[in-house]
Amino acid sequence: MKKQLVISTSIDLVRIAPERIVYIASDGNYSTLVQTDNEVRMLSYQLGQIEKMISSQLGSEGNIFIRIGKSLIINRSYIYYINIPKQKLILSDVVSFNHTVTASKEALKQLKELIEKETK
Amino acid sequence: MEELKEICDDQIRVIGEGASKKPLPRRVWIVILTVLGIVIAGVIILIVSLYKAEQARKLTIPEPALFEPVEVQETVEHTWIGESIDSLATGYTEMKDTLINDIPMRIFIPHNAELSLHIGKMNKEDKSVIYTAQAADVRADNGGIVGAFVLKGEPRAWGLSKKGFCASINGEVTMGVAENSPLFEKATEEGGYFFRQYPLVSNGKVVENELKGKSIRRAICDRRGEVFMVETGTIESFHDFAQALVDLGVDQAVSLVGSSAYGWAVDNAGTMHEFGEDNYYTGRRRMPKNTSYIVWRRKQ
Repeated sequence: MKKQLVISTSIDLVRIAPERIVYIASDGNYSTLVQTDNEVRMLSYQLGQIEKMISSQLGSEGNIFIRIGKSLIINRSYIYYINIPKQKLILSDVVSFNHTVTASKEALKQLKELIEKETK
Repeated sequence: MEELKEICDDQIRVIGEGASKKPLPRRVWIVILTVLGIVIAGVIILIVSLYKAEQARKLTIPEPALFEPVEVQETVEHTWIGESIDSLATGYTEMKDTLINDIPMRIFIPHNAELSLHIGKMNKEDKSVIYTAQAADVRADNGGIVGAFVLKGEPRAWGLSKKGFCASINGEVTMGVAENSPLFEKATEEGGYFFRQYPLVSNGKVVENELKGKSIRRAICDRRGEVFMVETGTIESFHDFAQALVDLGVDQAVSLVGSSAYGWAVDNAGTMHEFGEDNYYTGRRRMPKNTSYIVWRRKQ
């Protein structure tokens, strides 16, 4: 059985397969989780805490996620388009969802190089 | 939960990379640690045994030296031929018989005595004499002393027919081989004694003499400062006698008149031991007036 990410608080719990997460964005002391079904979920954890949860629960399987800067964790499976000058990153399965996020030029450049490197 | 490093906006980080894997079960850790302990113990034992083997090897095999090792010979303590006596004891002649190169030899070691020379017949009643033997040869033609001779500072003969010499000056006896010896003058100046004879040993080596024939041989010798006289029990050539003296360890030796030449030694019991023929000069044979003797007298 594939590992699932469990994010729990004192009053509720979210259990989700990693591949169902498109990205997680920082929102102050909270985080916003965007699912492949286009649903958006607010989490009462900072992004750094979410990153730790992914790392500890999924281990090496967590490497489908990439932390970009201080405010974004993306699922690399859905990287569809990178435009460095426009600081534009589109995450999409090209079927059911299409999300545009922004990041620094340097971060996008590194992301582009990482993808290029992994495809060689 | 694992602490993650801070990240800047210009950085990216793949999550989960480098994350620690699931810890091994405790029993696996026990097995690993046990094996590791055994390996470490084995390595320690191996190192110790190798060290001990190396130490043992070092003890048995000398270290390779940068330079050739110099063999330091053990100092062999010099042994005197004669016995050691109190300097205040009454003088006497110690006699030792030995056999060197099949030559029986009697060694006369004077104790607490001083060497002088004498010309003319010896007085056997003189109790101060503990040893005497004929010293220089006498010329057959004119009865003169052969070679330079100094008697108590007075030169009695001159000449160099024999290169060996023996001097006694101020209680110090010296012998050697030299055509000209300053000891002649010194003996003259300081009231000493000097005579010449055939040299037998010089600096521990045999001095070859042209003289052939065999006879009872006598000599006065210096062995590392110990002065004594030697007489053979059998007739010997100069060469064999000199070689025997060398083998005895003698450094310097000068011949004394051998054959039946008369003399005596007085032992520590006061007994007189004569050698040679005392009655040789009887009847028509008259003793040459220049017959000379070495005389060891008790120190006063």
